[in-house]
Amino acid sequence: MVVLREGMCPGLDEDLLRDLRAADIKTVEDLVSSDIEGLAQKCSVSYKALFAIRRVLLAQHTAFPVSGADLYEELLSSTAILSTGNPSLDKLLDSGLYTGEITELSGGPGSGKSQVCFGVAVHISYQLKQSVIYIDTTGGLAASRLLQMLQAETSNTEEQMEALQRIHVFRLFDVYALLGCLYSLRSGGLQQASVGGGSVKAVIVDSVSAVISPLLGGKQNEGMSLMIQVAGVLKTMAKDFNVAALVTNHVTRSGSGEVQPGLGVSWSHIPRTRILLERVEKAAAVSRPSLRSAKLIKSSRQPCHIKEEFDLQWWSRSEKGSSGKRKLDETDS
Amino acid sequence: MLCTVYILEQSSVTVCASPQLLARLEARRCLKDIEPRLFPEDGGPDQGAVVELFGLEGTGKTELLYHLLCRCVLPEAAGGLEVDVVFVDTDYSLDMLHLVSILDSKLTLLAGADEAALRSCLSRLLVVHCYSSSQLLLTLHFLETTLSSRPALALILIDSISAFYWVDRCEDGVSYTKQEEKLSRCAELLGRLLRDYRITVFATCHAIRRPAVPSSSSDSERSYLCRSWQRLVTHRLLCSRQKPGNNVAGEGGDDQEQRRHQIFTVHCTTTSSMVKASWSSSFCVTEAGVEFLLESEENKCAARQ
Amino acid sequence: MQTYGQEGALNTDTELSHVLHDSKHQAAFYVEENKPQDLLRSFISETGLSEEEAVEVLKAVKGGGGGGSGDFSASLTALELLQKEEELRSIVTFSSQLDESLGGGIPVGKITEVCGVPGIGKTQLCLQLAVDVQVPQCFGGVEGQVMFIDTEGSFLLQRVTDIAAAAVRHCSLLAEDDEQRAATETFTVETVLSNIFLVRCHDHVELLAELHLLPDFLSQHPKIRLLVIDSVAFPFRLLFDELSQRTRLLNGVGQQLITMAINYNISVVITNQMTTRIRDGQSHIVPALGECWGHAPTIRLLLQWEGSRRLATIFKSPCHMETMVQYQITPEGFRDADQSEMPQSKQPRMDTDQSAADPKETSS
Repeated sequence: MVVLREGMCPGLDEDLLRDLRAADIKTVEDLVSSDIEGLAQKCSVSYKALFAIRRVLLAQHTAFPVSGADLYEELLSSTAILSTGNPSLDKLLDSGLYTGEITELSGGPGSGKSQVCFGVAVHISYQLKQSVIYIDTTGGLAASRLLQMLQAETSNTEEQMEALQRIHVFRLFDVYALLGCLYSLRSGGLQQASVGGGSVKAVIVDSVSAVISPLLGGKQNEGMSLMIQVAGVLKTMAKDFNVAALVTNHVTRSGSGEVQPGLGVSWSHIPRTRILLERVEKAAAVSRPSLRSAKLIKSSRQPCHIKEEFDLQWWSRSEKGSSGKRKLDETDS
Repeated sequence: MLCTVYILEQSSVTVCASPQLLARLEARRCLKDIEPRLFPEDGGPDQGAVVELFGLEGTGKTELLYHLLCRCVLPEAAGGLEVDVVFVDTDYSLDMLHLVSILDSKLTLLAGADEAALRSCLSRLLVVHCYSSSQLLLTLHFLETTLSSRPALALILIDSISAFYWVDRCEDGVSYTKQEEKLSRCAELLGRLLRDYRITVFATCHAIRRPAVPSSSSDSERSYLCRSWQRLVTHRLLCSRQKPGNNVAGEGGDDQEQRRHQIFTVHCTTTSSMVKASWSSSFCVTEAGVEFLLESEENKCAARQ
Repeated sequence: MQTYGQEGALNTDTELSHVLHDSKHQAAFYVEENKPQDLLRSFISETGLSEEEAVEVLKAVKGGGGGGSGDFSASLTALELLQKEEELRSIVTFSSQLDESLGGGIPVGKITEVCGVPGIGKTQLCLQLAVDVQVPQCFGGVEGQVMFIDTEGSFLLQRVTDIAAAAVRHCSLLAEDDEQRAATETFTVETVLSNIFLVRCHDHVELLAELHLLPDFLSQHPKIRLLVIDSVAFPFRLLFDELSQRTRLLNGVGQQLITMAINYNISVVITNQMTTRIRDGQSHIVPALGECWGHAPTIRLLLQWEGSRRLATIFKSPCHMETMVQYQITPEGFRDADQSEMPQSKQPRMDTDQSAADPKETSS
């Protein structure tokens, strides 16, 4: 709703505003939907003048159609694919996180969601030399762990410090703070972050479910509304600023014991790509407790339900190489 | 810049009303044959029809929508209808790259198709993003100008019409009618545009409840949007995903094999006053988009499982 | 559409909320901030509120909008966070192996959950930490006070006195320079006991109410560095009409706790019970309160038996790999397992000691 105000457009003066209010026209929506001819008579203004006002207001508040060809052109030049730094995850994600999209990691406690987020943040800030916004809603972010990951990449302290400075951390613990933060990031804060160092290429929210799930359930709609608002601002921000959004979600168990991402059906439409992380509970995994499996459960680019295994220690591996990774064979079941 | 251009365009329309009138009278392309395999015989969406695609996440709504969109914008030589389409993206979910890959795969069938062919397809598509139901309403008002100036425009796609449901529900106090007012207004306006310009509307609607018992059609399939929208809908496509056998717990290679041949089912009911009919069809999703399964093929697929 | 107005504190009528919700409109108000009088006037004329109300609302909106603001004063770079983390000391557990695998002890500014079956020593660890947090800074301690929320009635004064006496003795033996000797003067069993604030909560309502009031208490007592809830499971394992309601309440508790941990620089230690879950036809012993709750603690410490040995596993932690250490419960408190002696010969005796001290042992 956009309330009509004096000076919003030429011709919309105090008197007219009063007349309009008297005719129960309070918002732009009211004015645009009304019968202009009848309204002009009621408010004793000329049809032409009122029509002009309607036209200007409409032009001010509408969204403009863009030709698909132009959009595609723009997309080709602006879309970037950010590698996560982990070959197994990149394979699932079709080479990495796409800017302009929301990617979701879900998994139970200790399934490695935060670790993947750390790894992605470090990779983007150190390897790609771009800034990252990291919104921590659970207090799970440990800068010492980020440093540890960086130390595996480089022994140059200066480079480590630079990379750490490119990661901007917000610690917010309720949904209102999160919404406020996202709104102000969208309305200019993102560019502000870009000033020092590379531009912001990724926004990580770990975790989105921690702040939303306390509000869901029961007979209240407010939680749902706030959830959709968080989703909306993330999506528009991802699109408008060309950043990749990475969010984490918890899991719930359905009646049949099947694991599914949390936050319910309405949220399931929100992320473009969803990955489910799980601990590997196999005999072989006992000696390597940091082994995790990642399953693609929603994607528009890859067949769903492909599965990869990876080691959380991948990001803190030594220079020696890729011993920390093992692909899941087709025959492995 | 863009803004001024549109205002100019609009004023030119108002100055001389005859082009608008002409545009209204001129027959727009009827979309009855948009996808014969999806709708009951002779029951395709006529001019003025509203088709709602309803389903949970992962039931093939988006794929189906892209399929229909591609059919509209593809040139006649490639089996398309060659009409203009407005895509109202309220979910901010339009995956242009995916759409282009589907278009590409259809165009390769056409001899001599090149980048320019793709471009001309895409130029038949107009995309508009909306972030609130107020903006949706204003944008639909604004689109009236576009409709009158582009007689080739035959279809408005809205993905999704339910995008602002929860936000609206919470915004306007306790009164239910007040909460639904915005969408009602949109629906009423759409109704007028449908009448005046003889266009067709396709809209997706996300299910908000998981079915309690998987196979039963119940609460979860009922429309929860306002009455004025429900009255508008003439065709309802219920999308669902076929369970690959009862072996849910099946893991590993076997499971993967089944998933690759995931079959989606669409159940179409038409609720126009003339005929009441229903129709089921199935498709699977391949690299080249939606591929409908013939009855026999479907059985074959089922047998393979 | 922007809806700061969702905040419960803002009691706005519909029309007002429209004004606030309109993003362009809001932007206009923000821009006009330089001219507060103009802003107020236009605001009053639009909403028809009294001047007082209008001032109130604008304050609330500014506060609500600015509170979680994305302007970069609210953010830290990871480097600043690292420096902050390094400034904070951890609370030692008096088990050097556990301290080592935790990187110095139980961290401040995080939630640590201790899970385990009855009698494994969860409460013992909590009592030990309640004493340890008070170790003077010159001994490498945190020198803070402690808030102890007891929901099970397992806080035994005699046991605390024993552990405190042992810790005091330990420090006085270590004292070398004058500063440390001076510190031992004030680090006595009496002061240790006087620095423990004890609250007894009987059910979840009392616990929720206490947590709600706690931020005020913490601002009045800035020396508090440790909050113990022993246990969080007990009040929430009672019958709930709706399981989802419990999950929702617990999620809220988790967010409250981490907010306090960060804002007041305290370490939050909570204990949780174990429960049996049947999966794939096999029974597993897992931490209680459901899977969702598992996300709330930053660090999850699993205490378990292996034969007669007690093992502590770091099950979930953002900065530590999964490790397992052995420990024991002695009359002095929580200690390293004595590797030189044969543990088998010693453990059973300690067990009986502990069961006398720990009422849970008998109640379960």
